[in-house]
Amino acid sequence: MIDLKNEASAGLNIGLHRIAVLLSCATVVLLVAGALVTSNEAGDSVPDWPVSFGRWLISSNNFVANVRFEYSHRVIAGIVGLITLVLAGWAFATERRSWLRKLGLIAFAGVLAQAGIGGLRVLFPEYKALIAVLHALVAQSFFAIVVSIVVFTSRSWFEPRKTKPDSESWPLRRVASATVGAVLIQLVLGAGFRHQAFGIVPHIVGAAVVTILIVSMVVILMRRHGEDDYLARPGKLVFGLLFVQLCLGVAAYVARVTSAGDPQPLEPMISLTVAHLVVGALTLATTVVIALRCYQVLEAGADKAVDTINPGKLHSSARGAAV
Amino acid sequence: MLKRIGVALAVITMVTFLVSVGCRKRSKETDEKGPDTASAKPLYKATGNEGSITGKVSYEGAAPELKKIDMSGDANCAAAGGDKTADDVVVTDGKLANVFVYLKGGVTDKNRFDTPSEPVVLDQQGCRYHPRVFGIQVNQTFKVTNSDKTTHNIHPSPKTNPEWNRMQAQGSPAIEEKFGRPETLIPVKCNQHPWMKANIGVLSHPFFAVTAKDGTYTIKDVPPGTYTLVFWHEVKGEQTQQVTVGNKETKTQDITYKAGATARATSMEIGPALILP
Repeated sequence: MIDLKNEASAGLNIGLHRIAVLLSCATVVLLVAGALVTSNEAGDSVPDWPVSFGRWLISSNNFVANVRFEYSHRVIAGIVGLITLVLAGWAFATERRSWLRKLGLIAFAGVLAQAGIGGLRVLFPEYKALIAVLHALVAQSFFAIVVSIVVFTSRSWFEPRKTKPDSESWPLRRVASATVGAVLIQLVLGAGFRHQAFGIVPHIVGAAVVTILIVSMVVILMRRHGEDDYLARPGKLVFGLLFVQLCLGVAAYVARVTSAGDPQPLEPMISLTVAHLVVGALTLATTVVIALRCYQVLEAGADKAVDTINPGKLHSSARGAAV
Repeated sequence: MLKRIGVALAVITMVTFLVSVGCRKRSKETDEKGPDTASAKPLYKATGNEGSITGKVSYEGAAPELKKIDMSGDANCAAAGGDKTADDVVVTDGKLANVFVYLKGGVTDKNRFDTPSEPVVLDQQGCRYHPRVFGIQVNQTFKVTNSDKTTHNIHPSPKTNPEWNRMQAQGSPAIEEKFGRPETLIPVKCNQHPWMKANIGVLSHPFFAVTAKDGTYTIKDVPPGTYTLVFWHEVKGEQTQQVTVGNKETKTQDITYKAGATARATSMEIGPALILP
């Protein structure tokens, strides 16, 4: 069990926070690069791995057409791997919360696993759909872990806050957790559709479920805690992202259908698909922020007394707030 | 929470391992199985009574607009000569090219046939595949050459034969491969230049042809008998006819594809039976 409330011994770790923010930004860039690979059908343009055309650094003659997307994806993945290693090392050396140190190691293990899965995708093209879906799952899960490290090391996480009661009917913490899970599954279903592992129906059903969950979560959040910016602000943001994401989803689908006869992937299908994936990832990140903050400031049971979380004082009932 | 994340990562690692092991095992099995069971069948010997099937494939309706290919991503491709328009549906004077026509049933099922010793060549020129559609016999040498000043990768995506993906730089020696099992048809793609597409019909017999620009085809040396004549087009789909070839007879079998109909396999499948246009 992890205490998500502030531990008495924990202090603000600005260095770790900055590395985590840098890593989350780099991960978004990596997600864009990965989406460009898929949208341009460039996944098999470099047939070998871990080297590319037998080299670590390819010649400019080879850096043409779809190889630009695949090779850039590999290079950015390497940079993300290095930043993750720095983050894990920094956390190990400077962070007082042992579980956060472990989370840094898990992130590093995740990036290594992701590299291995990416390699399998290249070396076993006959299983590309299955492996690509797994690749997408780990990518989004890794991003969620990095975002949670950003949250755990942020200044706002350490600010003194009053604990609030969470209703026993439709507890916000549970709804937020379920939303995170549903958004992650929906992102995987989207990847499955793009990689032709399955059709569009699961993704459309997933979109309906996610829409219901996000709307429910935001309505509950605004009704009960609308006055608290700490919770309300990401609530409003995820609502906006949901609207943009639905519009992008429809537009990307229409673009894909109308471009089915094109000799190659072309605009606007490529940009719309990439934007749809990135906004999906940002939606996941925002739901992660909401869920973590809910678990931080909300207490089980509506009848419990309101208390204050303080970095200098460990709240006695906070130990039950593990995710 | 950390325990759960740890378990999730362990599951992912295990799945990855199992997929890896499964992939290797299947690849090995596929390689070891080799050619199909045709070797148990008697070898067909020509009797001198063989006939032929000839005909034209027409296209009814307005010919589709030829879409431009954007080769600007590779300066060598952009500078190369040759056509820069899509060639998936080529209609000339109401006749459809690149239809793969082949026989099914009859003698083709009951006998095995000699494998030609000469290879079938697929050339990459002007960042296009030449030819776009072609047939090859099981275990016949498939030779890929690169006449371009750029690197390509050749990536057939079969369903029953092993999949492979190899690169071929400018001036590299020809790639030689074989397909051990009949399969109609195997899409081939260059993932570096995604407009480069070809289709290979792998058959256990030599009774196939591809329609020329004027829509004509001829299948020669057909043993007398009754067959299913299959017409396959990568966008317009498949049609069949029953045909009986008598001793030394030349049969004429024409067929028409209609504009609008499409069998394009895309990721747009909504359900098992519904494909969006």
